[in-house]
Amino acid sequence: MHPEKWLLVFCQWALNSHFGHGVRDSVWLFPAVEICHLLGLAVLGGTVLILNLRLMNLRFPNEPVAELARDVQPLMIGSLIVMLISGFFLFSSEAVKMYDNVAFHYKMVFLLLAIAFTFTIHRKVVMSAEGRVPLFWRVAVALLSLALWAGVGLAGRAIGYV
Amino acid sequence: MYLTRFLVWLDATHFSHWMRDSIYAEPIVESIHVLTLTFFLGFAVLLDLRLLGVCMKKRRVSEVLGQFNPCLFCGFAVMIISGVLLFSGDPVDFYSTSFFKIKMILLVFAGLNVLIFNATIGRKVAEWDAALKTPKAAKVAAIVSLVLWAAIVAAGRAIAYVLPPPS
Repeated sequence: MHPEKWLLVFCQWALNSHFGHGVRDSVWLFPAVEICHLLGLAVLGGTVLILNLRLMNLRFPNEPVAELARDVQPLMIGSLIVMLISGFFLFSSEAVKMYDNVAFHYKMVFLLLAIAFTFTIHRKVVMSAEGRVPLFWRVAVALLSLALWAGVGLAGRAIGYV
Repeated sequence: MYLTRFLVWLDATHFSHWMRDSIYAEPIVESIHVLTLTFFLGFAVLLDLRLLGVCMKKRRVSEVLGQFNPCLFCGFAVMIISGVLLFSGDPVDFYSTSFFKIKMILLVFAGLNVLIFNATIGRKVAEWDAALKTPKAAKVAAIVSLVLWAAIVAAGRAIAYVLPPPS
């Protein structure tokens, strides 16, 4: 089968799954899950912001980057999991509609890039010994991370508008 | 009533018409309002969790406050400005929803919580700055803040369910 066909099959499966039915059939479940998604956004965004501001020497200039990262890591991963689960619930209730939504496509691409970048290059720079990575590269990595996550958020907001 | 007259006047202004009629104004301002949540609420949650002794335990409370305050202040300013702009696009209908009124009342409580914290236990921060176990009053303030802000987000989102943005 063509890869695009697989995606459509996945969307149809999600739509007809228990999650999809449950969220669609309830008046309050979609809003409730969306509010969880928003609260997750605040925490995930806060941890991503503070780490990247630190990388650029704009906040907590006297704290080692790696130590701050270890401090906020559980919150960052926890809120990311909340966002992924609540996001799947929201998606499943209108999965086939999302298959045709351009903003949703962009959001997924940005999300994959943001997660891949966060847990590879970004993590390596954050965890490296203090002063090993020059400021120029730390700023570049921080800005790219902020751009990727902002892309996820903006495309996500745009889903409702297109 | 003065308030109703003000809302009707605001509704009739050029700016209000422009917010309603422009294809881009509402989506752009709305996106700014939602994404600034990360700046404002994200940092507020981190600060509350420090007060509860859940995260950043090794950092002094005064240091966390000092480092976060500019972000919290700027984030809050952007939230208020974008929020007022959104409101002015449709003031009469906004005010007619109960979720909007609930949100405004909760915002007043959240503000009072900050004022009370700063006037009482926050003033004596030097006494418990480095302590792993923060005083009970600080924990209460943190929990009140977390509950209020979560409710404010919920009420804010609910406004848009009752009052879908113009499309």
